[in-house]
Formats: sequence, C-alpha cells, structure tokens
Amino acid sequence: METHVELKTNSKMFCRCNVVETDKPNENLCPTCLGLPGSLPVPNKRAIEFITLLALSTKCQITTDGMFHRKNYFYPDLPKNYQISQFDLPVGTEGSLEIVVNGEFSTVEIERVHMEEDTGKSTHIGSGRIDSATSTHLDFNRAGIPLVEVVTKPLIKSSKEAVSYIEELRQLVIDLDISEGKLEKGNLRFDANISVAYENDDELGTKVEIKNMNSLRSLEKAIEYEISRQTKMLNNNETIIQETRHWDEKKEVTSSMRSKEGSADYRYFSDPDIPNMILSEDFIDKIKNNMPVLPSEKRNTFINSGLSIEEANSIGKSPKWMGELYKSVSDITNDSKTTFNWITGELQGQLRKLGETSPPEWMTAEQLAEIISLVKNDKISFTSGKEILAELIEEKINPEEYAISNKLIQENDTEEISKMVKEIIKENSEVLERIANGEEKLIGFLVGQVIKLSNGKVNPSVAKELLLKEIK
Amino acid sequence: MNHYKLSISEINKLFKDKKLKPSELYSEVFERAANTESIIHGHLTLFQDENIKKAADADKRYENGTELGILDGIPIAIKDNINIAGYATTCSSQMLSNYISPYDATVITKLKDEGVMFTGKTNLDEFAMGSSTENSAFGPTKNPWDPSRVPGGSSGGSAAVVSAGSAIASLGSDTGGSIRQPASFCGVVGFKPTYGTVSRFGLVAFASSLDQIGPITNNVEDSKILFNSMKGFDPFDATSGKESKTKQPKLKNAKIGIIKELMEDGISEDAKLEVQKVAKLLESQGHEIVEVSLPLTKMSISIYYLIAPAECSANLSRFDGVRYGNRVAGNTSYEMMENTRAEGFGPEVKKRILLGTYALSAGYYDAFYGQALKARAMMKKEFTETYKEVDYLISPTTPSDPFKFGEKSDNQLEMYMSDLCTIPANLVGMPAISIPTGLSSNGLPLSVQIMSPANTDNTLLEFSQKLESVVSFTSLPEIKGDVS
Ligand SMILES: [Zn+2]
Repeated sequence: METHVELKTNSKMFCRCNVVETDKPNENLCPTCLGLPGSLPVPNKRAIEFITLLALSTKCQITTDGMFHRKNYFYPDLPKNYQISQFDLPVGTEGSLEIVVNGEFSTVEIERVHMEEDTGKSTHIGSGRIDSATSTHLDFNRAGIPLVEVVTKPLIKSSKEAVSYIEELRQLVIDLDISEGKLEKGNLRFDANISVAYENDDELGTKVEIKNMNSLRSLEKAIEYEISRQTKMLNNNETIIQETRHWDEKKEVTSSMRSKEGSADYRYFSDPDIPNMILSEDFIDKIKNNMPVLPSEKRNTFINSGLSIEEANSIGKSPKWMGELYKSVSDITNDSKTTFNWITGELQGQLRKLGETSPPEWMTAEQLAEIISLVKNDKISFTSGKEILAELIEEKINPEEYAISNKLIQENDTEEISKMVKEIIKENSEVLERIANGEEKLIGFLVGQVIKLSNGKVNPSVAKELLLKEIK
Repeated sequence: MNHYKLSISEINKLFKDKKLKPSELYSEVFERAANTESIIHGHLTLFQDENIKKAADADKRYENGTELGILDGIPIAIKDNINIAGYATTCSSQMLSNYISPYDATVITKLKDEGVMFTGKTNLDEFAMGSSTENSAFGPTKNPWDPSRVPGGSSGGSAAVVSAGSAIASLGSDTGGSIRQPASFCGVVGFKPTYGTVSRFGLVAFASSLDQIGPITNNVEDSKILFNSMKGFDPFDATSGKESKTKQPKLKNAKIGIIKELMEDGISEDAKLEVQKVAKLLESQGHEIVEVSLPLTKMSISIYYLIAPAECSANLSRFDGVRYGNRVAGNTSYEMMENTRAEGFGPEVKKRILLGTYALSAGYYDAFYGQALKARAMMKKEFTETYKEVDYLISPTTPSDPFKFGEKSDNQLEMYMSDLCTIPANLVGMPAISIPTGLSSNGLPLSVQIMSPANTDNTLLEFSQKLESVVSFTSLPEIKGDVS
C-alpha cells in the first residue's frame, strides 16, 4: 500500500501560504507554490516535526541526515514540473504498525515514510482523463501542501487486511493530531499494488498498481476484483503485465491507464535549493517526549478493561468521546461488556437517529452509569432504560428520579407478585390446560397478564419465574 | 563635468554637499544611455519616465538631510533575470518575452530600501547560458571598447552599461563566471560573493548550487558597498547563510598562490603576462608569491558541464506555457507544452536541457552526474587544503581578451573554455573578484582574478582595493559613434 497523508500544518510545505479549505480556486498562492521564475522552497519545520512523529510512532528508523530530491515529470498541475520529494534518504525506514484483522492482531511492515509536496488539482472537462479532455481546469490551492507518503512492504495478504491497515493508519494520524484524516476530503489517499502468485511460489507475481480508490469500500472491492482478475489470468496461462490500472467506481472494475507514466524515469537528484535535513538528537528526543497515546496503546487499555480485541479495536476507532465515556462509565459500573454495548449500541444509535455526532454536554458518566445500573439491577426494564436515555439526551435529568416520578421502577417484591400470579392462574384455567398440553408459548401471555395487573410495575423475569413455579 | 565614472562614495559626497542632485545624475546617466545604447544595446528596457519622480524624491531627501544611505539616488542597472515587481523579467528569452514579475527579488527589496534607482533591465545570454550575450533572443550586446567584439556573458549587458556609463553600477549573476568574465571583457570590476551570502530569491535559477548574485562596478569600493547592502540571511532562501566565523586571510604580508594549471595551455600570453605583472606589484607591496598546483582545476569545465545542465534541466521545466509566459497551442496539453518549449527556448538552452536530462537519466546518472558530484567534492577539498598554505589565489579572469562576434559560436568547446578560470570559484563556492589591470596588445582590457576562502568576502574586497590602488588602471573605452 502506498498512502499519502495530508498534514494539517498552518502553512504549506515550502512557502508561507495558508492551508485552509476554500471553494474559491487559486486563492492561496505565492510565487513559490505557483513555481514562478526565481522563487525558492524553504522547508516547513512543523511538517518535519509531524513526519518525525509519524515515523517514530510506526517504529521506523529515523534518517538523521536526510535530504529532499527533485522528482521530474511533466504534468500541468505540477507547478515546477518537478515535485520536491524524498528518494534514497526518507525520514523513516523499516517500521511496523500493529493492526486488528477479524478480531486478531496482525503486523504490517512499513518500508518507508517520506515527505513531499502535494500537486495542484486538475478537473478535466469532457472526459476523466487529460489526453481526451476538451479543457482542464487547474486549481493550485492544494499545490505545496505537505504530504507524507507511507509505503508498506508487499506483505499484506487480503483486502480485509489492507482495509484494516488504512483504518489503523487513519486513526494514528488523527490521534497524533497531524492530519484531519478525512478520507472523503482526500486527507488520506491510497494506491494498492497487487500481485498474485501460485501457492507454492516463493516469489511474488508481477505487480499491478491500482489508483483512484476513494473509500475503504472501493479499496476492498478493487483489491478483490484485481485478485480475481489476476487469478483468472494465471489459471488461463496468460501473462500479467506491470501497469497502472484505474478503479472505476461505477462499473466496479479496473481498467488499464496509460503505461507511459509507469515506465517514467523520474531522474531523481538532490534538490540544490534545500540544505540537507539534519534531525538532531535533541529534536528527536523532544518529539519522543511529547508523543500522545497511540491507538495501539489505547486498544490495549480497552482490552485490559475486559473488552475483546475486536471490541477494543472498534471503540478505539470510534469518535474520541466514545472511548473516554466508556472508560469513565465502566470505571463506575465495573461491567465492561454492558457498558460497551450501551455506549456503542444504544447511545450511539439514538444520537445517530437525531443526527447528532456527540452526546449533549450535560450528560455525565455518572448519569449513564446510573441508567445502566438501574437496568442491570432489575430496578427498571431495558425498555425503560432506553426511554430514560432518550430523555437524558433531550434534557438534563436525574435518571433515578425520572424513573420514580414516571413510575418506571419495577416491582421486585416476590410476595406481592406471588399474589398477583395466583390470581391470574385462577382466572386462566383454560390457558393453563393448553400449556400443559404443550403450548408453552402461552406462558408469555400469562406474564403479560401479570404485568397488566400491576400496571406495568412488575419485573417480567421475576413474574415468569414465579409463574413457572406455580404451574409445576 | 561628467559624474558617471565617479565612485559611489564620491557621488554621495557631492549629493550631501549639495553640489550635485540625484535628479541631475539621473539625467546625465540617461543621456549617456541615449547616446550609447543604440551602439551597445546593454539595456533591454530603460525605466526612464518612472524614475523622474523617484529622482525628485531623492533630491528632497538630500535637501532635508533624510537620505536613506550611501546608495540613495544611485542609478543601478539590473540583469534581466532578477525580478523587479511590475516589470518584465525576460531572461532574454522568447519564452518570457511577455512575463511581468509580480514580486521583488530579495536583493531588489534591499536596494529599494536604500533608495537605489533602477536604470532598467540589462541584456544577457538566454537564461544566463553563454559567455558572449550572443544567445540573447533580443540581439547581442556590443563591447564598449570595440563594438565588433563581444562584451562577454552571460551578464554582458550589465558589464557593458557600467563600462559605457549608462549606469553607475549593475547587478549580475554568476554561475560559472557570468559576472567576472564580462566585467573583464568590458574593463570593469566584477565580484562573485561566497555562495549563499547573497539571497537568490527572485533570481531566475540556472544552476541552483552555483548561481550567485553580485555587483559589477567601476571600482572595488563600489562592489564592496553593493555587496554589503545585499548580503545576509534571507528567510526566503534556505541556502542563504547566516554569518559564520571564519579565519580571515592576511591583509599585510600575505601569501598569494598563482594557480599553475591556469597559467598553462589555453591561456594567452597577454593574460599570463598580466598575472605576472600583478604578481610583481604584489611582491613589491610586501606579499609573498608562490606557485600552487590544483590539478582538478583542469577538470572544472567537465564537472561544470554535467552539474549545471543537470540542475538547469529541472529548473527550466517550469516554463511550459501553462501558468505564465508565452504559450504555443497544441491539440493536447502535452502537445501544447512541447510546442511552447520548442518555440520558446533558443538552441543553447535546448542543448543544455538535453545534456542535463541525459546526465540524470537512469543508467547514466552514476557515470555522469554522480561522478561530477564526487569530483566537485574532491575539488573543494583540494582548494581547502591549498588555503591552508596561502591566503589568496590569483589567476587570469579570462584566457584571452574579448573575442569577436561569431568567432567562437562555431566552436562550442572553445566558447566553454573561456570560463576555464572562473568556474572553479562556483564549484567550490568561494568568493572571487575580477579587477581590470591593463590592456592587451589589441588595446582591450585584461583582468586578474583573486580568490579567497568561503566567507572571507570583505577581506578579499579590502585586499583587492589595495591592489587596485597600486595597479591604477584608468583607461576608459572610447565608444565609436558616441555622439556625446
Ligand atoms: Zn505559496
């Protein structure tokens, strides 16, 4: 996998232009990012800090004496017709990232993490491609925004693993606070290199690069499509050629792009405009000392609190408030699974229905823990619990008081309930006979009758238990 | 009395003493341009009208005693590969014949702050590639000493206008001798500072690791004034240096090395004699002259013609007709870029782009560009070692006096050889100055070049100033057809 991560620095990689979202094309430009004659690049220190943070957190070896290279190719949205990138001395090499696939741990080996600048954006009119477009609109707002490219080793074995890897990387850059990490905005852009080989072959088959996958879903589909396409070819004794293929979102197929670009000679050479990038021990230590909690560490904390690997992974990749709320609530309830289910299931579900992305500010861990405890201790029914939660999302309430004042507290006094059970049995001798004849479903009917008699205050499970005792 | 050959400090004194006004000097210089430009063609554009108000402002400042400094009101010409906001920067190329820069180069900002008036933009070999200005898309500049001869290049226009008196001083850029060689051909002083001491921001790049802006002046003191007003760290140029403490060469009883390899084949007798003459003068001043050998100097042309074209091949990629400059239509965007470059660039530029592209190509990189980098590093070492023994190095600036138009355009290697003595300073990054010292048997100016270790620029200038005073070269060109 080759992934480009757009960093959220204030200014661009080699100039002082702001990095801001705008609908107006060609707003944030200067001589440098527009490649005007005589302009020069000056590296953004913040971006170097960010990439070092990413390289360290993926356990890479840090190149302390690196440099920038020029990657030469002509394209209208590349202002200088070379991209400032890194070649043989990237900031990070030989790293790894722990991921979770199907509820189990796996490790993705990272080959390199390097720094480069983004290109402008082309919009081709009349065609998806530049060579057949009637016109092309160029927007250079994006040109020069710092990008980190993360390249893995060719050891990922399935589309699921690839998707999990991107999910983990995305969470990492969000938790490191170095990128917005929004796929839909192109903050993370990925290409997949796929090769298929016979089971017993030691060597990998010819690699094919897939571009234009804009979501995790299309990544998964494209990889699966490509694996089956290449497998079919191998089975038919056809030769797979090294090329770049384009994922067609609508048709859900890959098609060959110009092979011109794939065979390009980029004529890399060190950029004489930029001195070597010396990362001092001091610089690296400072970054190490300010390292935030990583997704893998967060995940381990969740696992230690009693969640499964899958659950821990999923809550770690949920919005930040969810993990935090989970921690506070489960500290009170001492029941990780139930707390997990309430937060990731009920609470998130209700919020989503309301179109909210986070709970109201008045909602506290104590309130939520109280609802969970009321249900867990059979003081209220699960349905009532959901009702109280909905109410809590609406306005600031005290869950227990609300339960009392709204008569949601269940009757758990067995003597009281026994009386009612006996009364119902008396009234329903016919039903009892049918139960005796095997129509056991009707027990539920009798439970309902007891609840009705109690005006809904009886705990259904207690009522059922007592009913069964009486019948036998 | 004419004032255009006075030194900047002399002019400044006249301004201060109210014996001369900036507007008067300005008129004089432009009159000089009116009389000489039709012959010399040193300026591509003259900023005559827009300077009337600026000159009047300068007058007022001197009247009120609020002048901005020694350069206030001094008319200076700018090589047309240095950006001045609102004016064309053509690089003497069809590619940019319609290009107006929206921003100032850092050196321009600094000179504006000092009250400098710009006379206009001067001619050069296209994109600073050449040694004669014959490669200008807008016609060559003529040598004021003899219009049938080249003024040198690439900063030929900048050297010629100072020599002719249509500017008090000028700025050039020097990648392999582009300031010093034309200064020598035109009988004026040319100074290439240590790489990185003067910001390159706003100088259209030819070869980024070699390019350096510097002054061309009537005397060493003027170069010193201009250098010190332009130097210094620039946050817009990552290769610009902060002042570093370097051991300075001696000013008295110094040891000066004559570079053996630059006194051999390929150097004319005239040029050799000039160096020997200057060496004797230096000896009489109490300095010690020794011969030093720097064998890799002989390789400098080969190293240079791999490194400079390689860097230029990438630097000039941006001229594609997409965002600015001239555009030649095509059926596809690639065809448009191809047509634009085919028509926009002249033959010398194309040749160097091809050469550089080849040197960087897969399979050739190690043999060519990679090898050149290694040789350059070795050459730097050779000079560093030599500077442990001597304070300064001396050589001819050019192998011969100015050549005639067309004389070397058919023999490219000979043309390239005219930079033999000047290229080492660019490869090594050290400062180098060319000082006119005498006339050749043809009655044309000859110069010597003095070099010193990197970051010893002001000491080199001071030393050169002393040498200049004992050489006392006072000849001036007589411009044929000059009506003044
Ligand atoms: Zn910018």
